[in-house]
Amino acid sequence: MAEPQSLKLPADAGTQLVFRSGVYLASQQFMRNYAALVGFVILFLFCLAAVLAEWLSPYDPTLLKLSVKLQPPSLSHWMGTDFFGRDIFTRVIWGGRVSLLVALMVVFYSVMVGVPIGLLSGFIGGKLDNVLMRVMDAFLTFPPLLLAVAIVGLMGPDLKNVVIALAIVQVPVFARIVRSSTLSAREEVYIVAARALGASPFRIVFSGILRNIVSPIVVQITIVFAGAIVAEASLSFLGLGSQPPDPSWGRDLSDARRYMSDAPWLLIGPILAIMMCVLSINFIGDGLRDSLDPRTWRARTAKKDQIMVPEGVGTSA
Amino acid sequence: MGTLTYLLRRILQIPVVLVVTTLTIFIVVRATPGDPVELVLGMQTSPDAVEALRVKFHLDKPLYQQYLIWLWDVLHGDLGSSVRLNRPVTQMLGERLWVSLQLATAAMLFALIVSIPLGIVAAIRRNTWVDYVATGYTVLGFSIPNFALALILIYVFSVTLDWLPITGIGSSTTRGGGVWKFISPFILPAIALGTVQTAYLGRLLRSSMIDVLSQDYIRTARAKGLKPLVVITIHALKNAMIPFVTMVAIHFGYLIGIQITIEYIFAIPGMGLAVLTAVVNRDFPVIQGFTLVIAVFFLLVNMIADMLYTLLDPRIRY
Repeated sequence: MAEPQSLKLPADAGTQLVFRSGVYLASQQFMRNYAALVGFVILFLFCLAAVLAEWLSPYDPTLLKLSVKLQPPSLSHWMGTDFFGRDIFTRVIWGGRVSLLVALMVVFYSVMVGVPIGLLSGFIGGKLDNVLMRVMDAFLTFPPLLLAVAIVGLMGPDLKNVVIALAIVQVPVFARIVRSSTLSAREEVYIVAARALGASPFRIVFSGILRNIVSPIVVQITIVFAGAIVAEASLSFLGLGSQPPDPSWGRDLSDARRYMSDAPWLLIGPILAIMMCVLSINFIGDGLRDSLDPRTWRARTAKKDQIMVPEGVGTSA
Repeated sequence: MGTLTYLLRRILQIPVVLVVTTLTIFIVVRATPGDPVELVLGMQTSPDAVEALRVKFHLDKPLYQQYLIWLWDVLHGDLGSSVRLNRPVTQMLGERLWVSLQLATAAMLFALIVSIPLGIVAAIRRNTWVDYVATGYTVLGFSIPNFALALILIYVFSVTLDWLPITGIGSSTTRGGGVWKFISPFILPAIALGTVQTAYLGRLLRSSMIDVLSQDYIRTARAKGLKPLVVITIHALKNAMIPFVTMVAIHFGYLIGIQITIEYIFAIPGMGLAVLTAVVNRDFPVIQGFTLVIAVFFLLVNMIADMLYTLLDPRIRY
């Protein structure tokens, strides 16, 4: 990032005002939120473990070794072993790869479809808006998990179908949020000005509106991301997602359920992994919500280093 | 816009939403591979038997006719019958919905028992250790999936302590066995299902209590010497309950929508499991019927929530 521009005010103002970019200010706010920072570190470690699963995990996640089946946690098997002698710690790491990848893809697809629908609906309005939103409403009426179960059940149990189903369920959520943000952004003075200057609709939508409604989208992404991890685990738990012998937190929990009285430790790994992941994403989401909304941090920052918030940031209600 | 006009508009939207949902499911069922008739009869049956069943379920007609026939029957109160079980769908729906409503009620009761004291105490003792413990609880409650919690509860209370049964909801063995025999199977599923709601509702009540407690009329009530308990329960809680009650209505519906994993673990014959079995068996009359009823149910829940909002808070006008 370039050096922040300084601006000398007339001497009687007495202070120096520093202009900084919104991203810089927001990230500075984010760093001050310890819960969010801790969440970020944990999620980063989970991602790292998922990417480096081949090198990090001590065993093969699918290798059967019946001589060590159902062993309690020990130094050689930190979280014990399951009925087939597979190392649970290894499977939790590999399961993280599945969970995070599915969640990432769900976010990607639902944003790619939902955001354009919301933009179209909010920007063009009229009949198109009416039709699109009625369809979105119809989808929102249905409980998301049940709809996902129905879709995956009909298409056949498979992780690919889980991604499709969960993305379908989330599209209307993004469309709704983007539409309402677009509606209010459309009336902002800078959009009216851009229109008056003859900017093309394409330019108005992408560099005018989209850039200014990024924060609600980002916050929603964290919610959907955490939700997708739980939903994937639920579907896999029901036998609709990841198929054996592939590792998956939900799938492994449904196996652990069967040996609960003999080997209760099988529950610990997957449950802890899901909870820590969801918890850290929730913390990040809360942190982002606060740091992306300048109204909540103006007072605190002003005291510290007299930063002037760029005009127009966060003033739209 | 007056409340009545708003209500009327909402009611007029219902058919549109219902057609969109049922038509979508109808198309998805037909577009995905797997023939329900073959699934029921198996591969070895005579072509005549297959043909007879096809005619019976109108599978020999074009798609749009199939949908219209279904729609016509629905308007006459007939949802058809299950391909697999040969039972009327309405009858199955009745049983399943009844069980699901029971479970949702139990879970909501648990959520209320925990969240109301939690929200009030956290608001009154704001920024003390009590509040922090309450916040910690809600944060954890948000992040544990209900089926994971269910497994932990089963391990502790059924497997290890042997205090509570795992199954028994909706089964004939619990009938006529006294109150405890009826209630006990609900306890673990209700806790597992309702914990997220305790967190959500507790946090909601806390913030709306804090909101209300900073109002002028609370200061007036305190200043004129009313007992703190009276101020908190009669003056503050009554107003803080407005957003709370609406959310209770919404979350009650929500509970039915997320029951499926709990039904699966505790072998509860509710709506979720019915959808799962119907979908896996491609029992399309059942799928169609359940889609319709679930959509109607959730439309009603959302409408009731909206209406409650205006009833409880006269300031809100649509």
